Amino acid sequence: MEVQSNDERSFRLVYEEVFPILMRVVYHVTGNVDLSEEICQEAFIRFFDKQMSFPSLNDAKYWLIRVSKNLAINHVKRRSREMSMVEKLKKAPSPHANTTDGEKVLIEKETRKLVQEAIEELPEKFRMVIVLKEYSDMDYKQIAQVLNISESNVKVRVYRARKMLESILSQE
Amino acid sequence: MCVDDELLSTYLDGELDEPWKTQVSEHLQYCLACRLRLGQLKALHERLQSVALTTEEMAQSKDRVLAFFEETKFPTADQKRSFWRRKIEMKVAPAILTAAAFVIVVIGSFVFFSPNTPQGQEILPGVVAPIDSEHIRQVTDVSKPNLGMFSLEQIIQHLDSLGYSVKIEMKAVTPIE
Ligand SMILES: [Zn+2]
Repeated sequence: MEVQSNDERSFRLVYEEVFPILMRVVYHVTGNVDLSEEICQEAFIRFFDKQMSFPSLNDAKYWLIRVSKNLAINHVKRRSREMSMVEKLKKAPSPHANTTDGEKVLIEKETRKLVQEAIEELPEKFRMVIVLKEYSDMDYKQIAQVLNISESNVKVRVYRARKMLESILSQE
Repeated sequence: MCVDDELLSTYLDGELDEPWKTQVSEHLQYCLACRLRLGQLKALHERLQSVALTTEEMAQSKDRVLAFFEETKFPTADQKRSFWRRKIEMKVAPAILTAAAFVIVVIGSFVFFSPNTPQGQEILPGVVAPIDSEHIRQVTDVSKPNLGMFSLEQIIQHLDSLGYSVKIEMKAVTPIE
């Protein structure tokens, strides 16, 4: 099915299919829902405005993931440059509150925070690969295509990202 | 000899090619250490999955961004109508100049009026015409003397300036003797 990016019908089809994947991927790179929404909107604006045609929905998806991934990484880089030491200290995990009500919710939030922070600690090339592997429903071959690297490179990076995550999370 | 750690990671993702895939499967059947290691990798995978941003958590974002496109990028029904109207007007104008034409003016269905109400007077000043239906006016510029004071273009411009949605339909262009 050919996809014309500025055709309303095509656009809606792609949006329905790709937005959730894009949002999940960008969220796990940036760790912020509002920012992820902005980035996804920007990616879809570029998609629409460029008036491109794609041979298939998957090609449109790869293009959108590539663009939003770059937007997310640029943002994260800018943010880490801007973030002062004071803010970095503020970001450090706060001591557990002694709540009993909604303790489960709290634990879930803490778990997510720990895992998300571990992902954000990974060097960019490992972070991107593991996020795509875990949150985009793509296989090694597709990830390789999106990132423009070889399949065996994807395989190695996925493994090394896992080793790093194990090591970060075991310190908690 | 035990399975290389990286091979186990690839095996976990279902990306290991044959014959290694079968070899690893067979080895796992009798090697506890490798089964435990695979279990650890699987646990990490599940932990990552358990914190994935859910469909519910992103629902608002999804609606908001789509609404943005509906408001700014997709042509609305109004824009489509006005585009259509402009096209027709250009074609109508010369016909009006050269010959009397039989034209049906369709006022947007949200406007309910009769020519004798103040609103009707505002829209079609001085027109006293039999009304066939609430939304359709028949206009010929010879049989309705009062309307003959205005060209079709003037009527359209007038309606337009009042903010009404107007559709012009050319049913036929028949010169009147
Ligand atoms: Zn073994």
